[in-house]
Amino acid sequence: MKFVFKSALVVAMALSTGGVALAAEGGKTKLPAWQMQGDELEIAMNLKGDAKNGRDVYEVCAACHMPEGWGLPDGTFPQLAGQHRSVLIKQLADIRAQNRDNPTMYPFALPSQIGGAQAVADVVEYMASLPMSPENGVGPGTDLALGQQLYKDNCVRCHGENGEGKNDEFMPLIQGQHYEYIKRQFREIRDGARRNANPDMVKQVKGFSDRDLSAVSDYASRLKPPADRLGPPGWHNPDFD
Amino acid sequence: MKYLNKLTLAAMTVAGSLLVGGTALAQDGATLYKTKTCIACHGVNGNAPVLPTYPRLAGQNAAYALAQMKDIKSGARNNGQTVAMKGVMHLVSDDEMKAIADWLATVKP
Repeated sequence: MKFVFKSALVVAMALSTGGVALAAEGGKTKLPAWQMQGDELEIAMNLKGDAKNGRDVYEVCAACHMPEGWGLPDGTFPQLAGQHRSVLIKQLADIRAQNRDNPTMYPFALPSQIGGAQAVADVVEYMASLPMSPENGVGPGTDLALGQQLYKDNCVRCHGENGEGKNDEFMPLIQGQHYEYIKRQFREIRDGARRNANPDMVKQVKGFSDRDLSAVSDYASRLKPPADRLGPPGWHNPDFD
Repeated sequence: MKYLNKLTLAAMTVAGSLLVGGTALAQDGATLYKTKTCIACHGVNGNAPVLPTYPRLAGQNAAYALAQMKDIKSGARNNGQTVAMKGVMHLVSDDEMKAIADWLATVKP
């Protein structure tokens, strides 16, 4: 009896802690189980971001991801502009919690650099609202038929016909992303090196050869965002003039 | 006289272009320091590293800075915080590393 009571108490406490962290008001986003991150960042998910303040927070990010949020076409840094809010928060949180290894970015994900939950919500609002690059890096274009078939069979269910992803389900938007970046992340996910990957995807791509991986990354890098989401070629973000 | 004038003009032009060349190189290092993302971790003018475990670079000896950059790029040096820097070193060529090192040496700590 005593034991049962204790267990029930622990469960009740765990549930109430979870409830506080998730602030489960009607219709709010709930985090998937494979996600590990701090309470503060879970709260950020349900805060309303202020893009104007987010611009100031973004300044430190701009050194690598560029003022436009377009990253580098060679894939060293990914495009963040236009990415889903849930995905941006999750990746930032996971790098911060060292649930995704990124030694280059790690110091910039720390609260001492970018601030707490509200700052995260703000910077994410800013990044998500930036126009996207019309000239992202693409692959060699030599194996697109294979890439298309693989994409259709393996990727569409979560990332969408046109690589649009799903904000509600933490599925990244991959349209307009740089080829080399997609390929590198894909390889790390396949090989288990990207520890915060969705286990469904790890399972799905387990049998991919290196050729498969390059082909489908190339195909995905050629999926274009809708025209009204794109900035003009060579656009400079006037927020950082 | 006219000839002398011409000569003077030519000398001035050469001197001028040398000066421009010198300035361009110095600016080049400063610009590269930003565009190649050094500034993100080592801070404005190499004076404000983002973590206490990262080095200040302002005023560092150019030959030393260049040797460290080359070794981190090649992997010959792979200790300490180099893992955070290795991933961006393909962004710089030997000449660019030298320009950055030369410029950093001129910056006041």
